[in-house]
Amino acid sequence: MSAPAVSVRAPRAGLGLSAFEASVIGLVVLLLAVAVVGPLVAPESVYRSDIANALLPPGAGHWFGTDDQGRDVFWRLVVGARTTLLSAFLVVTLYSLIGVAVATIGAAGPRWLDETLMRITDIGLALPGMVVALGFAAAMGPSLRSAIIAMAITGWPITARLLRGIMRQTMEAPFVAGARALGVSRWRLMTCHVLPNSLDVLIVKWAGDVGTTVLVLASLSFIGVGAQPPSAEWGATIAGARGYVSTAWWTVVMPGAAVAITSIAFGLLGEIIQVRRDPSLRGN
Amino acid sequence: MLLSVDGLCKTYASFPNPPVQVLHDVSFGLDAGQALGLVGESGSGKSTIAKCLMALTRPEQGSITYDGTDVVRARGADLLRFRRDVQMVFQDPYGSLNPRMTVEELVGEGLLVHRLEPTPAARRDRVAEILRTVGLNPDDRGRYPRSFSGGQRQRIAIARALAVQPRILVCDEPVAALDVSVQAQVINLLQDMQRQFGLAILFIAHDLAVVRHLCERIVVLHKGRVVEQGTRAEIFGSPREAYTRALLDAVPVPDPAVGRARRRQLQHQS
Ligand SMILES: Nc1ncnc2c1ncn2[C@@H]1O[C@H](COP(=O)(O)OP(=O)(O)OP(=O)(O)O)[C@@H](O)[C@H]1O
Ligand SMILES: [Mg+2]
Repeated sequence: MSAPAVSVRAPRAGLGLSAFEASVIGLVVLLLAVAVVGPLVAPESVYRSDIANALLPPGAGHWFGTDDQGRDVFWRLVVGARTTLLSAFLVVTLYSLIGVAVATIGAAGPRWLDETLMRITDIGLALPGMVVALGFAAAMGPSLRSAIIAMAITGWPITARLLRGIMRQTMEAPFVAGARALGVSRWRLMTCHVLPNSLDVLIVKWAGDVGTTVLVLASLSFIGVGAQPPSAEWGATIAGARGYVSTAWWTVVMPGAAVAITSIAFGLLGEIIQVRRDPSLRGN
Repeated sequence: MLLSVDGLCKTYASFPNPPVQVLHDVSFGLDAGQALGLVGESGSGKSTIAKCLMALTRPEQGSITYDGTDVVRARGADLLRFRRDVQMVFQDPYGSLNPRMTVEELVGEGLLVHRLEPTPAARRDRVAEILRTVGLNPDDRGRYPRSFSGGQRQRIAIARALAVQPRILVCDEPVAALDVSVQAQVINLLQDMQRQFGLAILFIAHDLAVVRHLCERIVVLHKGRVVEQGTRAEIFGSPREAYTRALLDAVPVPDPAVGRARRRQLQHQS
């Protein structure tokens, strides 16, 4: 916020991506492209059984082999990419909105409300999110929609807590004192001055959160409270292939790898964004 | 008296540090249309006085009265009226403007929150008019503070403060962060505004040079205490306190003849 920090910022020479950064970003773009385009070009047979061709190993006809129903594993992954990523985006967006609302209402409201909301947030943080989500999803009846709602209502406390902390820092900025001196209401102060100058942290957090969510969502589906067969969602696919780990490894390893790679790619993207925004972290 | 400050005491308690009392029994007054200088070295408590005056922090003793309103305890409609009538320009033109608001939003915000111009169109016109008054191009109103120089930003800050037609403008070292070449421009602008709108100005500075030009009355602050106050002629002509004389000595004098004359005068006094 000090004058030199603004005026002496080093000029950015292009994007200057390292090879590693470029490959992570390339991978994420590829995954997004698959999620968008994949379902449009996939053969419709991904949902149709073809028992004659069941459990074929990876080869020319079926790059990743076929599952116990004779469905092509590769194309099922491609179709499932959209379900998986879209669900993860939805979860992160939903709980971010809840987190923003909780933090802002706490900041703008009377002290007791702030304290109450933060105590609830603390309780939410202390509970194991995945277990609670499992309970919620099971109670609502196992489905992908239940899993998304359950994760949205268990995921927000971290966002709320983080954002409330950043908003407290932003409150110290001179322009906040300036707005108060002008006669701005407390609600306007928070929504027009403090919040917009605190949201950066969520942009940084977003990619990493998508990575984590892909994994948790797949886990819920794997346990059976998320997406249900014959959905091509990755967790559900792994669950469906559980019995064939020893006889047809590709039915489990391929979707497992898809979950792992996607989760890690978004996680790394999150870290890259964070380091780029705050160069003092570089080298860690 | 439009604004009077009486017996102000302020202590900062920031655990685990021991509490520090930064203001001791500060009293002064400001008349309508007057320019008052508040001078003291860094750390003497000038900004703390400004914060108390603007009801941004609460002094633990003393009173601040604006036009019959007890500022320290004002709430609701009284506070809002005070907030409209008394505006502030801050020292740091880089930090004191919300970087996510356009010039139009910044300058029009006061009009909006005090409901002075009912329609967006009227607000736009008024913003353009004020921008012209402070010497900015109204065509720049869609731009963000980062694309302006320090001097221009301070003009935006002045426009923002003046938009609501205040009666008092508190300026906390408004030129200290600016290039020497633009300091005079901003000071002159403030002086023009004072004359044009009959504003009362509380002008805070850490040296007497700036204040000499602008203010007819001067309050000298030293370690949180008012050590001397009087008219410009009194302070510059016959400063009574050693501290004021030291501050006077610190004023750079560009004209060597004046400098020599003053040195003689000081020797003569001591
Ligand atoms: N929030 C705070 N908490 C604790 N101490 C503070 C706080 N703000 C200011 N102080 C201390 O109070 C004293 C007076 O500060 P103040 O900012 O009012 O001085 P100033 O005269 O405006 O100085 P400058 O010319 O450097 O702006 C200083 O010693 C400062 O360290
Ligand atoms: Mg100060």
